[in-house]
Amino acid sequence: MRKVAIYGKGGIGKSTTTQNTVAALAEMGKKVMVVGCDPKADSTRLLLNGLAQKTVLDTLREEGEDVELEDIRMEGFGNTLCTESGGPEPGVGCAGRGIITSINLLEQLGAYHEDEQLDYVFYDVLGDVVCGGFAMPIREGKAQEIYIVCSGEMMAMYAANNICKGIRKFAEAGGVRLGGLICNSRKVDNEAEMIDEFAKRLGSQMIHFVPRDNDVQRAEIRKMTVIDWNSTCAQADEYRMLARQVDDNDQFVIPEPLSIEELESLLLDFGVLEAAAA
Amino acid sequence: MTTKTADSVSGPFVATRNACKLCTPLGACLAFAGVEGARTILHGSQGCATYIRRYMISHFKEPVDIASSNFSEHATIFGGRDNLRAGLANVTRQYQPEVIGIATTCLAETIGEDVGMYLHEIRNHPSPDDPAIPPVVHVGTPSYCGTHAEGYLATVHALVSQLAEGGSHHEHINVFPNMFSPADLRYLKEICADFGLPLTLLPDYSDTLDGPTWEEYQLIPQGGTPLAAVRRTGQARSSIEFTCVHGEKASAGEWLEERFGVPNHRLPVPIGIQASDALFDVLGSICGSETPARHAAERGRLIDSLIDGHKYLFERRAVVFGEEDLVAGIVGLLGELGVDPVLCASGGDSGRLRSAIARMVPDRADRIQVRQATDFADLEELAGDLKPDILIGNSKGYWLSRRLNVPLVRIGFPIHDRVGGARMLHVGYRGAQQLADRIVNTLLESIQEQSDEGYSYL
Repeated sequence: MRKVAIYGKGGIGKSTTTQNTVAALAEMGKKVMVVGCDPKADSTRLLLNGLAQKTVLDTLREEGEDVELEDIRMEGFGNTLCTESGGPEPGVGCAGRGIITSINLLEQLGAYHEDEQLDYVFYDVLGDVVCGGFAMPIREGKAQEIYIVCSGEMMAMYAANNICKGIRKFAEAGGVRLGGLICNSRKVDNEAEMIDEFAKRLGSQMIHFVPRDNDVQRAEIRKMTVIDWNSTCAQADEYRMLARQVDDNDQFVIPEPLSIEELESLLLDFGVLEAAAA
Repeated sequence: MTTKTADSVSGPFVATRNACKLCTPLGACLAFAGVEGARTILHGSQGCATYIRRYMISHFKEPVDIASSNFSEHATIFGGRDNLRAGLANVTRQYQPEVIGIATTCLAETIGEDVGMYLHEIRNHPSPDDPAIPPVVHVGTPSYCGTHAEGYLATVHALVSQLAEGGSHHEHINVFPNMFSPADLRYLKEICADFGLPLTLLPDYSDTLDGPTWEEYQLIPQGGTPLAAVRRTGQARSSIEFTCVHGEKASAGEWLEERFGVPNHRLPVPIGIQASDALFDVLGSICGSETPARHAAERGRLIDSLIDGHKYLFERRAVVFGEEDLVAGIVGLLGELGVDPVLCASGGDSGRLRSAIARMVPDRADRIQVRQATDFADLEELAGDLKPDILIGNSKGYWLSRRLNVPLVRIGFPIHDRVGGARMLHVGYRGAQQLADRIVNTLLESIQEQSDEGYSYL
């Protein structure tokens, strides 16, 4: 079983990219579980064709310790298994601790047990690694490979670089590795080249460049992954390609985060300067 | 975040080994215990309430009830609003308190609990099943950025800033003590009465934490500053507060001056002759009279006794540890006794201990080693080389005393290996007298113990 965590700047498209990739993996015949690690509990909406009824933490709150795996796990597109950690309402409590509790409970309940015959577990984690709780999916024994979703926009790259600093720390202690950057295009100038170079400087790779396509929104508004909505459209093939690249990936590294100066000069070399010249 | 000051323990990080300070909410519990009819809820983990009760009970030898909102994993994740609501309702039903104090534990602070917002919600949307809750005062007391002394002062500030009301000024004065013993508080009341000054002492745990035996268990011990008196602190003619290390942020007196125009007199803790003189001078200036005769007589006897004791004390070396204000006060007394305070240490890290000491003993301050943010392991390393004759501090210094084979004069809080911590005087002429006698006698006892001959006449 491969355990994968998806990180990236808030709003970059982690959940969308994860679910579309998972749909493609499912189509390939892989058995996949998705664990949403976001208090908003919207990481499995496209696979379930709607929001999960009950999150792990809601169930724990209402039923106490007497929770069954079936209570918190739902079957989605292509026999994928979907769970949402859930968490507190905005502004109160400790969402980080919620992630820890939720993942511990899933382990206790045997969600990762061999009997489940899972090929993949995907952790879809909210925004930055803001505290220890949000690092739970990459602690020892949890996810072994991480993909960072980013774009050619400066703040997305800045966040990706920052996440690499977190990965480094956990990589040295626990063994988690960076599998690559997924560029979710925002149609920035020279975006593919820049992210490719950024990934190389991090010691990693751009595993796939996902072009911007309104079909993603069209599917999303219908609470579907692209493959589920229209399996023959061009964007569906992009996600199939990404899924294959992930499945075939053998490049797992401890990233070398860039200094701020390096990062800014990269942006100047590839993006802003070009635009300024034009 | 606290910035390390020049006198702080520095260098590579070493975990604190036996801290020379106590938890911040402990100070809050002590201050709330001095309000009449008050009960305290600690918002957060249950163990914090247990630890604080254990410390207070062992020192005061009185029952101490402290409620806890008792966070479970559930409350930690979703926030403790429901726990706080249930806690307030339970405490109200069980104790029928006149006021409820809420202090926070580290856990509640770390997850960012907004107690003020919760209280607002609970008041505006009361549950029909819950009793009407009395006035509530809340204070944030994360222990990782403060000490029990800061928790105490922050709580006095919270009581005043959340309850005091303005209005025309009356004859009474406010006195905001520091972490004094019940005996000290009784004595302060006696002094003010002898000046003929009506007094609001806040907090006043002189009865609640040092009362008589009961026929029947009392849910809330009698005594304490009445709620109405706390409200009237805004209408006092003057305030006196005792701290010279803690900033304006924590000051009840400064707050009342700024808000309601109550003139504030900020004094060092009145330990020793000069610091006590400063208190008597301020009291005299407020009511326009001389120090009452019996207190002047006590001062005279004190000075006479210091002359008598001087031959035993001159150039003896002392290590003083504890709360910063207390340490600075004791240094003032030691200066008057002729004792050399060679090391002054505190777990507190206000950055003002050195200046407070310099104010007490300006001519010898540069010869005193000052240590802030210390722990007992650090203290032991430093103290051993200084060859002290005497240690002055709380019971947590017992192991230091035992290892160094240097006698310990127990003062302050906690004293849990002797009886009478509550009855021990520190402040005023009478407190200086008791401390001076104890210091001399401890040294004499040590001379006898260490001598091969059995001198009975020293």
